[in-house]
Amino acid sequence: MVETVQPEVRPEITGETEEKSKSRLEPGYLVICWNDPVNLMAYVTHVFQRVFGWPKQKAEFHMLQVHELGKSILTRESMEKAEHYVHQLQRYSLHATMEPDA
Amino acid sequence: MKIVRTGDQFLFELGRREQQWLVDLLNRYPCVSPARHHLHRSTRLPDSSQRLLDEALAQQRATTKKQVQEWLSDSRRFEQIETGCRVVLSGSEVEWLLQVLNDIRVGSWILLGAPEENLERALLNKKTASHFLAMEMAGHFEMQMLEALK
Repeated sequence: MVETVQPEVRPEITGETEEKSKSRLEPGYLVICWNDPVNLMAYVTHVFQRVFGWPKQKAEFHMLQVHELGKSILTRESMEKAEHYVHQLQRYSLHATMEPDA
Repeated sequence: MKIVRTGDQFLFELGRREQQWLVDLLNRYPCVSPARHHLHRSTRLPDSSQRLLDEALAQQRATTKKQVQEWLSDSRRFEQIETGCRVVLSGSEVEWLLQVLNDIRVGSWILLGAPEENLERALLNKKTASHFLAMEMAGHFEMQMLEALK
């Protein structure tokens, strides 16, 4: 008896999924903040909260990384967004750069 | 210096000497050289990106410098009281003032020779004393404002 092959049902690719896959494939850029002995710890925490909208605990975590390890990777973004964040951080006179994510 | 937060506004009470320090400090803006800001450290990114950043920062510095001068020249800015003066600032003005003061702090530190932490005094001499004082005073005002923002 020949069985009828049921058509394979593939998950529908929604716009959102397409976008997520696209952003994963796009070259990403890391936004890095470097240690400067002059910036006050409370100030750096405040700037991270303002620029990224982070809660205090997360902002303090990254501030301490900067202070103790010399740098902290703050986020991975598209080139345009990374440039935006670097610009925002530099407006506050923090030492921030972006590097391609290898 | 005393800062009281009342809703969206911040009331600063400054002694006479503090008022003079604040005015002197703000007149130093901008202190950080534009050459300090790089988009990247080692990796090559398109020059156009660096150019855009330079232009944006130059424009922002020019605008901020104008705002600082306008802010200082407003005759109603410092309300005189018995002990010194009173200044009322909105939350966004406090944020703006923090950026200005930190530019002065970082710029003064660079002029001092960009010393490592706690080694500032080793570079202290007649030539660098004013940079040292500006760095310390800007930090003092920043700390007070950050406390008030908590």
